[in-house]
Parts: sequence; structure tokens; C-alpha cells
Amino acid sequence: MTPPRLIFVTGKGGAGKSAVAAALALALSRRRPATLADLDRRGSAAGLLAAAGKSDALATLALTPRAELEAFIHRIVPLKSISKRMLRSRTFGYVTAALPGLEAFLMLERLRLLAGTAALEDRHAVIDAPATGHALELLNVAGGIRGLAPAGTLNRLAVAVEEFIADPNRFGVILTVSPEELSLREALEAARALREGLRVGWIAAALNFVTAPLFSAAEIAALADFPEHARLAEARRRAGRAASDARRALRDAGLGVIELPMVCSAAFDQAALETLGGQLEHGLSQL
Amino acid sequence: MNRPRNAPFALADRRLVVCLGPGGVGKTTISAALALHLAISGRGVDVMTVDPAPRLLDALGLRAEDSSLQPVNLDAAGARRGGRLRALKLDPKRVFDRLIERHAPSAAARDAILADRVYRNLSNALAGVADYMAMEQLLELARAPDADMIVLDTPPAAEALDFLGAPRRMLELLGSRAVTLLSAAGGAMRGPFSMLDLAARAALGAFDRITGLRLLGDVQNFVRNFSGMYAGFAERAAAAEELLRDPRTLIVIVATAERERVAQALEFAAALDEMNLKAGAIAVNRVRPPLPNAAAIANSRDIPASLKAKLQSNLAELAALKMRERVALDALHAALPDGVELLYATDLGREPRSLADLAEIARSIRRA
Repeated sequence: MTPPRLIFVTGKGGAGKSAVAAALALALSRRRPATLADLDRRGSAAGLLAAAGKSDALATLALTPRAELEAFIHRIVPLKSISKRMLRSRTFGYVTAALPGLEAFLMLERLRLLAGTAALEDRHAVIDAPATGHALELLNVAGGIRGLAPAGTLNRLAVAVEEFIADPNRFGVILTVSPEELSLREALEAARALREGLRVGWIAAALNFVTAPLFSAAEIAALADFPEHARLAEARRRAGRAASDARRALRDAGLGVIELPMVCSAAFDQAALETLGGQLEHGLSQL
Repeated sequence: MNRPRNAPFALADRRLVVCLGPGGVGKTTISAALALHLAISGRGVDVMTVDPAPRLLDALGLRAEDSSLQPVNLDAAGARRGGRLRALKLDPKRVFDRLIERHAPSAAARDAILADRVYRNLSNALAGVADYMAMEQLLELARAPDADMIVLDTPPAAEALDFLGAPRRMLELLGSRAVTLLSAAGGAMRGPFSMLDLAARAALGAFDRITGLRLLGDVQNFVRNFSGMYAGFAERAAAAEELLRDPRTLIVIVATAERERVAQALEFAAALDEMNLKAGAIAVNRVRPPLPNAAAIANSRDIPASLKAKLQSNLAELAALKMRERVALDALHAALPDGVELLYATDLGREPRSLADLAEIARSIRRA
């Protein structure tokens, strides 16, 4: 199955979203050109890629709400002198800031356009999205705007964005999960909200930091004389079991699961990104 | 449960500890651990948590659905006399509603605001409201007659210090000419409005028509209803700022020993500086404990070779991760601003699920 044109990577803080987004973009760019877009304001994913070395097939892009608002105003108010004056006005700034979700909505509209361009140029787009809570607010905003604007430009755009989000050929979400209680719970809740509330047609989970339990209970018991080693072995076993519990919970929730290994290298470098990228590509092909 | 050692840094004369940091570093855990530590050493502590893990709620013995201040049973913790701990979970929407109820000039104004679609959107979804409400909740706690010591967990900051800037932003919005302009009843505008304001108003009108949003009227309504509460809001926001600047307030930036998190922590410290606030400490959470000696295993006759091999491969992986951590911590050390304490909290190797776990984390906190 071909992945959607645009893949929106989210997850709880600390689950490794940016690394997953960067690795995914890198892997996809081996087959056809790809764009990695950062929504996290820090450019974390692009930073990881830059550290790993650039390639011609992989473009990076930073999206900011302010730039999207400006582009939108220029689009609906073609007269430059007026649109510029609007944007300079503090009053206008305050009102658009207070307008519920306008900037977030324009960001979504930008993602829809990005997916359209990607389809025309036969590229993939990967989005390093905000953490789960903010990401859901962002995706929900189209419905909110449609409710607020019963007719007119924004209403038409909102309907188009909602269709985009529900179209598995154009839009998909990868939930990055670490095998921990809070991260897993957040991912399961997000999957439900995405599916039921937003009708997202393509959702997968990237289970990060997966390790094997390595030690059996009997082996740990045999380490009674070496309490520090026993403690480490116990921690390893617990981490391995947490990963398989998380895998089961995600599958039970009907999610396709891509497993990513805990990368145990002294630096998170190009090789680490390649490892994750390879796993992601393999995982995607198995979904 | 052992008594904690003396606090690694000056907490005794503080009244408020604020924990800031990006999502996923364990702000809530560190907040709860510090609060427990202070309570055990005899303080009356109120801790506010944001979105705590169910296990952490269990550890504190709290009911998940309750957003009021609930007492934590310290019987098993051996607290000194006078020590008590209460915890609450932030519910931004409820705090916002309470705030409106408190400051609305009349019952009619209150109902109008609570039913307003702009308010409902604002209070449910708009980024920044949770930050502002955390601040408001802090004031409620600080003004309680029996308040002694408050530990504050904060919402994850996407942009450095959204939280600390929240009162000022709210004040700027409410006190801005935009509000005066918008709240002036349709058409008849008084006062010296600049051409730019008039142009902006015309522009907003055009924006409304083109987009089909028909929002100008609603925003006007909202602002008109809201402006009656400006004085109340202004007073709260000023008080919150004052509290943050009080010398008895300690701001702790929480991070983990990863390159990206370390960079973020340093950005936070610099941003605090720009706001004329001072980070008291950067607390690095989940620092890996030192690795045990591998030689002892290698020389043992009782451990089978297959188990030795597994132990060694596990140790080798952990050593690599420890090395990665070392690089991040060295970078933090080198860039640490003057006067900022560097603290490490040791990784438990599991998610904290009891008061004893939290106490163990608190005990592990030490100067780097």
C-alpha cells in the first residue's frame, strides 16, 4: 500500500516525533523526492537532518502561523497597499490573535495545498507536527471554522480541509509512542479522536524505543549476589515487556504498528537516522 | 521510608517553586517530588499538577475526576510536625469560568459571556488560555489563608515561557486600543482614534465580509462584556507577575540529558533573563545512574556464560547511552549561565507509582 502524500507525525513530548519525522522523510526521499516541513517552531526535525547531511531529493520547510496569515490576507485582498496596511495594524493583529483558531486553520489549509503540490510533483511530504494535544486542536479547527463561518471563502476552505483530512490518499497520521503509560494512553485517545471525531482515514503508530526483555525471571534470580546487575537486568526486562504490552494495546485498538528499535549509539547521528528510516520504510510496507 | 537529606539548594526560605520545561521531561514528576520533599521536612505544601499520569495520581492517592485541592496521606512518609501536602489537578476551563463568575459586573453579563461563542472557543481551544489559567490557579492558591508553600507544575511550553508571559499578554489584549475601538458601540466612536485604527476597523469589516466569518459583531460583543472585568483582570495579572518576581520564588527549568532538551533549557533560561526573571536552577531529570563494574560478573564462576554475554551486551548498550548523555550534560555545564544552579535527579528505571518512588526521586536530587 502506498503511504499518503502527506504524513503528519505527532505524539507525546519525548516520544521522538522529530526523529521519526526526519528519519521517515530521509527514507522516503530514497525513492522519490520528499519535503520535510516543521510545525514545531524550533525546526527540530530539520536540525536532525542537517546534522545527518543534506540531499537534493529532500527539501525542508518551516511553516509559521504568521507567514500563513500574511499569505492568506494577500490572497483575499489583492490590493497590496491595503493588505499591507491591515497586516501592520496592531488592532488587526489583536483581533486575528483573538479569532479562535484562524492561524491554526490557515496552517491546515497550507498542509492541504502542500499535499496537492506533492501529488502533482510525485513527492512525499512529512510534517513534524506539534505534540498530541496541540496537534488535535490544530486538526479540529477546520470543523470549528466551518461552524463559525456559515458561508463565504472560509467556509469553502474549511469543507475542503475536512475532506483532505479524511482522504487516506492525501493525508495520514503517524502517532509516535514511547512504551510508557502516559504516552500510550495519549496515543490511544488520539487515535480514537482522529478516527471518530475527524474521520481520518489513515492512522498508524510508530512504537519507539523498542527493546527485547533479554533476561528471563530465572536469570535475574540467579543474579542475587550482584544486586546492581540484577537491577539493570530487571529494568531491561521491564522495558522489553512494556514494549510488548504497548504493541498489544495499540494493535487491540486497531492500529497498524511500526516498531522502532532503541538506538543505542553514543551519538544520534546519520547512522541512527538511517536505522530508524529503514525500519519505518519496512514497517510502512507491511501495514 | 527514609527522611530526605537536606535540600540540595535553598528551598527553606521560599514560598513558591515554579517548574517550567518542554513536554515529556517529567515536570510533573519533579514538581510532585519536590513538593513531597518539602512536606516531609515540615512545610505545608500545595502542589498544582497539569495533566498528571494516572499512576502519579495513584501515587498521591488522588481522585482523577476531582480538580479541587485534595489532601495527600503522608502517614507512610514519616513527615515532620506541621508537614502536610495537598495536590490539585489544573482544569483550565473551570478556572476560567470561576474567574468570569468572580469578576462579571452582573449576573446577566456573566451569563452572556459564558454563553458567548467567542468565549467558548477561546476558553476551550485557544492556545495560551491554559497558561493563563495556570497562573490564575496559582493566585487562588497563594491567596488562601492557610497557604505556606506552593509548588507549581506548568503546561508544556511550546514557545519558551508562554506561561510566564500569559498575564501580560492578557492585559495587553484587554487594555489595548483594539478593545476600546471594538467595544465602542457600532458607528458612534468617541476619542482620538488614529487613521490606522479606522483603517483597521474598515479592514476588519472587509475581512469579515470576504471570509464569511461574521465575527466582528461577536468579537465586539465579547469585548464589551469582557471590558467590565478589566479592572479585576488587571489586578490579578499584576499580582501574578509580582509573585513571580518575588525573591522567595524559585524558578526551576526541568530538562532531560538529551541534546535537544538541553538546548531548549538554555533557551528558556535566556528567555527568562529577557523578561527580567531569573532561573534559580536547571533540573536534569532521569540522569542515568553509574554503571556497575563488569569485571565482577566476568570473574564469577556461578554465572553461566550465556547470561554473562547478555549482561555484557546490555552493559555495552547502556554505556553508549551513558556516553551520549555525558556529551549533552557537558554541553549544559559549559553553557550554564552564572547564578543558575545545576541539579541532577536520578532515573528510577521505571515510572514512579508510589509515594516511596517520589521520595526516592526527591532524595536523588543533587548538585551537579
